[in-house]
Amino acid sequence: MTLLELALYFGLLSLISVGGMPAVMPELQRYVVDVKGWLTPGEFLQAFAVGQAAPGPNILIASLIGWKVAGIPGAIVALAAICGPAAVIAWWVAELWERFKDSPWRKAIQKAISPIVVALILSSGVIIATPGAPDWRMWLIAGASAAAMLATKVNPLWMLGGGGVLGVLLL
Amino acid sequence: MDVAPPKHLGELFMGFLWIGARSFGGVLPWAYRTMVEERRWLTHADFTETVGLCQFLPGPNIGNASIVLGKRWFGLAGSIVAFLGLMALPFVWVLALFVVYNDFASLPAVNAIVTGVGAAGAGLFIGTALKLGKVLARKPAALALIVACFLCAAVARLSLLYIVPVAFLVALYAARKDWL
Repeated sequence: MTLLELALYFGLLSLISVGGMPAVMPELQRYVVDVKGWLTPGEFLQAFAVGQAAPGPNILIASLIGWKVAGIPGAIVALAAICGPAAVIAWWVAELWERFKDSPWRKAIQKAISPIVVALILSSGVIIATPGAPDWRMWLIAGASAAAMLATKVNPLWMLGGGGVLGVLLL
Repeated sequence: MDVAPPKHLGELFMGFLWIGARSFGGVLPWAYRTMVEERRWLTHADFTETVGLCQFLPGPNIGNASIVLGKRWFGLAGSIVAFLGLMALPFVWVLALFVVYNDFASLPAVNAIVTGVGAAGAGLFIGTALKLGKVLARKPAALALIVACFLCAAVARLSLLYIVPVAFLVALYAARKDWL
């Protein structure tokens, strides 16, 4: 039953995941932590951290949540469900999208999506950095990491490493 | 520059496996290095355009790129093989890392490190949003849209299943009026 629920919900999430995983993190956190109580806010943050530190698409956090909820089958179902519907859309739409290169609708869709994606990525960052009650130390680490990313072009792994060091010192 | 697509499914699989295997810190730069610089499957312009398209589709953008490129080169089998190649190793590694982490999660130091990494990862999202948003926010309508979506998602914690469709229709109207 839980597997079916995972499949349906992650499949639905897949359809609105324009901008990739960062854009659906607010919804994922809301559902998994607030609505279902499958993970505590702290566990969600840690799953996110492991997903960021490991190589690969960050959509893999879906498989960590699936694994927490229903073991290995949960991990596979969650990953398949969050990728599947989007993959089917990519399969059908890619050529169509090329054909409408000069259509005003295509340009309007691109322009319409951009601000929404920006807002959702920003929301993700703020929500993930505030797992429980607002904590200035978490915000300090997040702020330092954001500033380092904007100021330099180094591999983001350095920021994650720096966050780990600051975590030991502050938390 | 001479480019040639992969000759068979095995080569396609190994290429995407190699991307997934070393994509620490984000998949996009490694996908570029593997497919454009090392294996020369496609040109820089082609890569940029394909990834650009994938960013406007739902789903992870390199995941979508594996579907689109796999289809172009080998049809349905290509899409499946490229996607599985990309995900195979990261899937195993992320679970393994999580298992190891769970064994040590009770240690306060480990907990502090991982929480710090999570906060830094959140900071990367904030940085990305600021970078992308800086140009967009020059238009008042776009700024208003960003603020409204942020308030609904991060402060009011409404479901994106409502926010995204409504915001998209509003934004599409604004885009057609040339406000964005």
